[in-house]
Amino acid sequence: MMSTRLLAAAAAVLLLLASTASAADKKVIRLWQTETEPQTLAVLNQIAAEYEKTHPDVSIKIEGLAWGDLEKKLTAALAAGAPPDAAHGQPITCVSFAAKGLLRPVEDLADSLGKDNIVDAFRGLCRWQGRTYGVGHSPASSLFVYRKDLLAKKGLKVPKTWDELIQTAEALKETKDGQVVRYGLTMTGQPLFINIGVGELLKTNGGRLFDDQGRPTLTEKPVIELLEFYKKLNRVLPPGWTGHGYLDTFANLANEKAAMLYQAYGRGVGYIEKYAPKEIADPDHFAVADKVVGPSGKAPAAQLDCEPWMIFKDAKGGGEAVDFLKFFFKDENYVPYLHSVPIHLLSIKKSTTKNPKYADNAMISKWRPWVDMQEKYFKNDWIKPVLVTDWDDMKKPYLLEVMGSGILVDMVFDAVKGMPSAEAAAKAQKRVEELLVQTGYLKK
Amino acid sequence: MPALVLIGALILYPVAYAIWLSFFDKHSFFPASRWVGFGNYDRLLGDPEFWDSLWKGVVYAASTTALQLVLGVVSALLLHHPFRGRTAARALVLFPYMIPTIVAVIVWRWLLNETFGLVDYTLVAWGLVRQPIVWLGVDHIMTSLIAMSVWQFTPFVTLGVLARLQTIPLELYEAARVDGASAWARFRYITLPQLRAVMFVVILLRGIWMFTKFDTVWLWGEGAGAGAEIRTLPIYTYMRTFTYYQAGFGAALSVIMFLMLMAATLVYFGFFWREEEAAA
Repeated sequence: MMSTRLLAAAAAVLLLLASTASAADKKVIRLWQTETEPQTLAVLNQIAAEYEKTHPDVSIKIEGLAWGDLEKKLTAALAAGAPPDAAHGQPITCVSFAAKGLLRPVEDLADSLGKDNIVDAFRGLCRWQGRTYGVGHSPASSLFVYRKDLLAKKGLKVPKTWDELIQTAEALKETKDGQVVRYGLTMTGQPLFINIGVGELLKTNGGRLFDDQGRPTLTEKPVIELLEFYKKLNRVLPPGWTGHGYLDTFANLANEKAAMLYQAYGRGVGYIEKYAPKEIADPDHFAVADKVVGPSGKAPAAQLDCEPWMIFKDAKGGGEAVDFLKFFFKDENYVPYLHSVPIHLLSIKKSTTKNPKYADNAMISKWRPWVDMQEKYFKNDWIKPVLVTDWDDMKKPYLLEVMGSGILVDMVFDAVKGMPSAEAAAKAQKRVEELLVQTGYLKK
Repeated sequence: MPALVLIGALILYPVAYAIWLSFFDKHSFFPASRWVGFGNYDRLLGDPEFWDSLWKGVVYAASTTALQLVLGVVSALLLHHPFRGRTAARALVLFPYMIPTIVAVIVWRWLLNETFGLVDYTLVAWGLVRQPIVWLGVDHIMTSLIAMSVWQFTPFVTLGVLARLQTIPLELYEAARVDGASAWARFRYITLPQLRAVMFVVILLRGIWMFTKFDTVWLWGEGAGAGAEIRTLPIYTYMRTFTYYQAGFGAALSVIMFLMLMAATLVYFGFFWREEEAAA
């Protein structure tokens, strides 16, 4: 009896050791990505599990990282010599890393999606010296959202200019017993979104951040006007807007604490569906409109939210990561991924957009105006990545350093705190010049 | 010998490497580097952001340490006296120090949110303020950070002081009472002198830890545009290293921070020893 038990125990130990050894033999492929909503992570893990069934020697580990943390974590991982095999990055991050020789070209991945199948606006998302280093996982555009019913109730028109936005925000503000119960407008003060806002608003004001020689142009008129606009925004936004995160602003809109949201995104509908009163949780109440235009500008502009997949050059599993991503982009996997946040995760492939299985989604049908607005921006080329006001800016490999330094954020808050706009701009100009000289991108 | 190897590997090598790195112009993740001698230090002294972050760090460290000390001693004195439920109160007082920083920060940021937070709601409901206070905005973010840090770290002082209070011989107090000493006199001439050694350690440790505090400050300011208002020296050092990618300059900043703490510690030790000798 005793020997039978011993035998059984030994067999169990051997089995355990064998299974551990087999797990240890697997090649682990690590992917860092920015879609952190639980349902998206579940879909991604499901795709990974499906892939592993046909690739038993590979283990796919997918980690979700907060959007605002991505660059810092990638940099720390690179400094430690332990980057993942593949990762999302801002387009400017991708270009910066490609210019530094840290990435592997991904023409093989891009070609696998079909030569002309990638939506035109996103083909050049991450190119450096004629080669492709990134393929976007899913494009989205920032959106201007307003409460259609509240504007109608007060007989207000949808604002089209910066000044009209301020006036409308003032008119929409509501108070009760001396307390503000609803602000006209909400915006985030999060550094990443201030960088996004600076690029986007500057574009709507016909401005730029750098000249053709790569020298900063922060003392130009459109930038001064932008800082004046931020001063005005500061007067109509909730007093704590500088401390409001990206998701706080969605909550403000959905909970009826604000009537308009300037930097909204498609994922905001999830908040509206979840938190807004049921009878108003629809696009007839939460409507979208063109972004407002500055005094020196002519056309609206928005931010392109489309992180390219990057493969690190020294990654041991670069080939496997590309192979997994090819699998990820197959419609049977890609469509469920897009449907996990339906109005925010749009397709980068033309063929998927036309796929009836993709269109067959209740949320997409319901919130069609939000999707149409984003597609309008894509078609008109009104969208650019963060800090990019012209596609040629993507040839400047130092935008990542400019964003990371926080200089533009400091410039905005200097102005908001009361520093004259010209002085705040001049201070930022000097700091950016110093940064570019120190990093060797600009001569003194 | 093993201890020496351990000290060398874990303390001396990183410090020596940081000093060595501070003499180079080095990108954060490229191996190539260029010797610049004292160039980074020269640049640092002329960098207004360095002085600004140093000042913010001093304000943060000094105010949080002072407040922790006062509140820590007061709470330890209260918890030293017997009362019903004292054991539960002692356990409860330690609670803020035990919870992870990220949890504490998220909970406090939520409580202090001026749109839906409980703190502002209560203040307005009770008529203490007319409009909600923007605790996380540019004007009050340093104040709210100090308050939150004091809440989180005071239990360390309480614990240290309470432990020492329990070892003070009761005979001293009895003798003082017989001599007619008031409660204040007993505190001033018995309790405080007995707490000197523990207070010395507590001030030193808390001062150093608050000056080099990274996680709480980073999490409090991260995600808020007002973060620049609490950009203390450790935060600025991190930014230079990991968002400007200037590892050499970042190393120079950390060396300066290290030297400042060393100097402050030596001055503090000197002051304490002089006091001890005078008392003896």
